[in-house]
Amino acid sequence: MLLEAKGVSKAFGSFFAVRNADLTVAEGEIIGLIGPNGAGKSTFFNCLAGDTMPTSGTVSFDGVNLTGTTPDTHARAGIGRTFQVPATFEDMTVLENVVVGAHLHHPHRNDARRKALEVLEITGLARLADQRARVLGTPGRKRLEIARVLALEPRLMLLDEALAGLTPGEVQHAVELLRKIHGMGITLVIVEHIMEVIMTLAQRVIVFNQGHVIAQGKPEDVVKDESVIQAYLGRNHGKRRSGAGKHGSGA
Amino acid sequence: MKIGVPLLALAFLVFPASAWNIVGGYAGQVSVGHGMFFGIGAYVPLLVYQHGAWPPMLGVPIAIALSAILAVAIGYPTFRLRGHYFSMATIAIAELMRIYVGTVDYLGAAIGLQGPAVGRGWWDLTFRGELPYYYIFLGVLAILLYVTFEVQRSRFGSYLRSIRANERAAASLGVPVRQTKLRALMLSAAFTSVAGSLYSIKTGFIDPESGIGLLVSVQMLITAALGGAGTLFGPLVGALILVPLQSATNTWFGGSGSGLTYILYGGIIVLLARFEPGGLHEFWHRVSMRWRARHAA
Repeated sequence: MLLEAKGVSKAFGSFFAVRNADLTVAEGEIIGLIGPNGAGKSTFFNCLAGDTMPTSGTVSFDGVNLTGTTPDTHARAGIGRTFQVPATFEDMTVLENVVVGAHLHHPHRNDARRKALEVLEITGLARLADQRARVLGTPGRKRLEIARVLALEPRLMLLDEALAGLTPGEVQHAVELLRKIHGMGITLVIVEHIMEVIMTLAQRVIVFNQGHVIAQGKPEDVVKDESVIQAYLGRNHGKRRSGAGKHGSGA
Repeated sequence: MKIGVPLLALAFLVFPASAWNIVGGYAGQVSVGHGMFFGIGAYVPLLVYQHGAWPPMLGVPIAIALSAILAVAIGYPTFRLRGHYFSMATIAIAELMRIYVGTVDYLGAAIGLQGPAVGRGWWDLTFRGELPYYYIFLGVLAILLYVTFEVQRSRFGSYLRSIRANERAAASLGVPVRQTKLRALMLSAAFTSVAGSLYSIKTGFIDPESGIGLLVSVQMLITAALGGAGTLFGPLVGALILVPLQSATNTWFGGSGSGLTYILYGGIIVLLARFEPGGLHEFWHRVSMRWRARHAA
């Protein structure tokens, strides 16, 4: 297994954002991590990336236990991640942003620059290389985040809502890019709460609700799962709908 | 002689500010207590002269080593935390040091220390004229700017700027954040210490206020921030503006206006924070971009 999370829990005080979650990812997979808002996806995701230390459980990558190590150790091990709210380096140029990532495996500036230019070409950002990151819009920033991670030459890429906030056309572009990256032999774990995107991309889907993994399997099976429908639409959603009509409160 | 005074004033602003710039500018870790490193650099050469009759110059490497050790002692615990803890810690430690030095007779207490009045040889670096000092300053400043230039284009510099921009994102890209900040602080402390040594050897006198005082620390910060923190020539530009400003306030208000420098600095901080946090460098960047856009259209 490339990535293995066992019994991961994260508690904030007495509240468990993630409780006893397991995840195994094989090399070359595309995994979708879905669930309604506040389900604990992002917290679990941050535990995988080393940004949040799990209260209990272990995270190992390619057989090496990474639990409790820093994010930069994760990066060196071969895990790259993007941020839900793009965290680009605003005052640096697009090229400089990517060079930071490229430096991980290319200590010398000329080599790092060459690698970064190569990545900008792949991600379609080459013509913006000398622009400052702050002038980019949301799609550009999300793309830049992916480019930065790609420059790390990772084996596993964790994408935290890399498609949220994009128009349908932009989503299409982004999906193409992700397919291209997958074609380069990089394993993908994608967090999304838009189901449609995951359905077209992921080979396997893990559904989170209230900190638990409530279902997993092929996308087409998961959407039919009763507990998943309940998580998204509420328990007995049929009854509640008719109840709302009776009381006349359509809100 | 006439041009000599402003040139020296310029050197004493540019040098420490450029040293501060490595950690405060490029890495964005704002130290408000760099006077402690300046102070160590200023005191040690005069101490080895006063107590051991050594040439002051021999104190310089000792001061560099002590400053680097102090940098680690401060950076190691505070760089675990994000935010302003580092700034707070630097103010506190610099002020403690200033007060403590003022009470210890061995360190000259509140009266201060003196260097050789007449040089026993060239190695005392006590010259009649100012010219030799210019060459020394110029040489050391050239080294500092060259080091900064190399840092700026290296992996180390790229990592520093990423930390300044977004620490969390930097760490996710494999940047060893704490270690990188620590290295920047050590390098910055070492050069600030050298600046302090040059100052005390040139003036032949040091006391707690002129060596470690808050004004010393704030001066470095303001000079760099005014020109553009985190840019190679920012400190130089800042100093080119501050020196005439200072001599103007000194002439207008004479000796009675010694507190006026603080007011001037306060005003500059307010203006920068309100209108142009990136300093003149950022202002210039914006203006030239607009100019280019207008003429391209």
